[in-house]
Amino acid sequence: MIEFKGVNKYYGDFQVLKDINLSINKGEVVVIIGPSGSGKSTMLRCINHLETITEGELTINGTLVADKKTDINKLRRNIGMVFQHFHLYPHKTVLENITLAPKKVLGKSENEAKETARYYLDKVGIAEKADAYPSQLSGGQQQRVAIARGLAMNPEVMLFDEPTSALDPEMIGEVLDVMKALAKEGMTMVVVTHEMGFAKEVADRIVFIDQGQILEEATPAEFYANPREERAKLFLSRILNH
Amino acid sequence: MLDFSILTENLDMYLEGFKTTIIASLIALVASFLLGTLLAVFRIAPFKPLNWLGTIYVEFIRNIPLLIIVFFFFFGLGFDGLTSGTIGLTIYTASFIAEAIRAGILAVPKGQMEAARSSGLSYGQTMRIIILPQAIKIVIPPLGNQFINLVKNSSILGIVAGLDLMYQADLISSRTYVVFDVYIFVALFYLILTIPLSLGVGYLEKRLAKSN
Repeated sequence: MIEFKGVNKYYGDFQVLKDINLSINKGEVVVIIGPSGSGKSTMLRCINHLETITEGELTINGTLVADKKTDINKLRRNIGMVFQHFHLYPHKTVLENITLAPKKVLGKSENEAKETARYYLDKVGIAEKADAYPSQLSGGQQQRVAIARGLAMNPEVMLFDEPTSALDPEMIGEVLDVMKALAKEGMTMVVVTHEMGFAKEVADRIVFIDQGQILEEATPAEFYANPREERAKLFLSRILNH
Repeated sequence: MLDFSILTENLDMYLEGFKTTIIASLIALVASFLLGTLLAVFRIAPFKPLNWLGTIYVEFIRNIPLLIIVFFFFFGLGFDGLTSGTIGLTIYTASFIAEAIRAGILAVPKGQMEAARSSGLSYGQTMRIIILPQAIKIVIPPLGNQFINLVKNSSILGIVAGLDLMYQADLISSRTYVVFDVYIFVALFYLILTIPLSLGVGYLEKRLAKSN
């Protein structure tokens, strides 16, 4: 459903993405790993057009993401996104954070939107925080609200951009648990993360990227047991041996 | 010692002027806030012609004297004093409000725009519902300054026979040959407007800070 074909991206003279070819199927969980600055977040952000590709083709269900004729707002309804720093709306309550887009974008009624919001809040385990403001929540709770906010749009795919990197170690588990449950339900997920345990357990496929290039694409079992690329071996040895 | 008979004997004129000052200030306050917000959005919108339009407006208007803008409407377009003064005040103050609000918009973390846009909200919806409420909260103190300046600047109406407090004071002064006392009372009337405005802005700042 998501298809990168020969995608290049430049920031001025600097090439961030080099000839990316990748296809992600419905129901798949793809984890993108790689050193910082490798372009993994940029690649993820191209999918919902937060970043623009310079060359090549990127399609979602056959629709060109970067095409001028594409209604990007319509395309984005279908793609949930969770950020490293949550980005909840600080001036709105948890419930308002979740109901906003369903009401304004999908045209749902107040009651319908609230009902959906409560359902997902319950699902991420913080139903009791519906009327709190984001600043009153812990980082882990905020990130779970952000996930509920994404899910409330009933998207076909969820993008996660280092969802646990800004969290206290104690709170990483609660967020990963929600993501694991989601993966088991068959949600299509593209996840940029450094959580190797999560990748091992949940990913259908691991994509290793370095200096803007996909160096390796494999199942977790293959990748961890026997990475083919030297750079991937080095990366794994550095993050696993401590 | 102040001669209070100046105040009591000319009270109806003072009050008439006071009323006009309030009306002109209120209209200009609301209108300059709306116009200023629009201009701020113009200056940062992802559309170059709007950026230019906003920049030209702000740089042109804030760099010429208010009096000349008012004269333009009064002598140039032939509007009456009250209308010329109110339009002039609005146009002039909007350029400063635009700059304050633009600073506020830039102070809202970039992720807010990204989160809202990636949920399918349009640029306009995101600005209106997510960015501007946060931006305005950030710039309430400088906005308060602009509003206080606006009330005081409304004294410009006096120069173009705008029937405001200053205009009435000029009349009283030329009739009684008293200068000092007449204008001291004018100052008091301005304080009646600006002190509550100051306090109100301070209160708003505190109350909105709580929701964070």
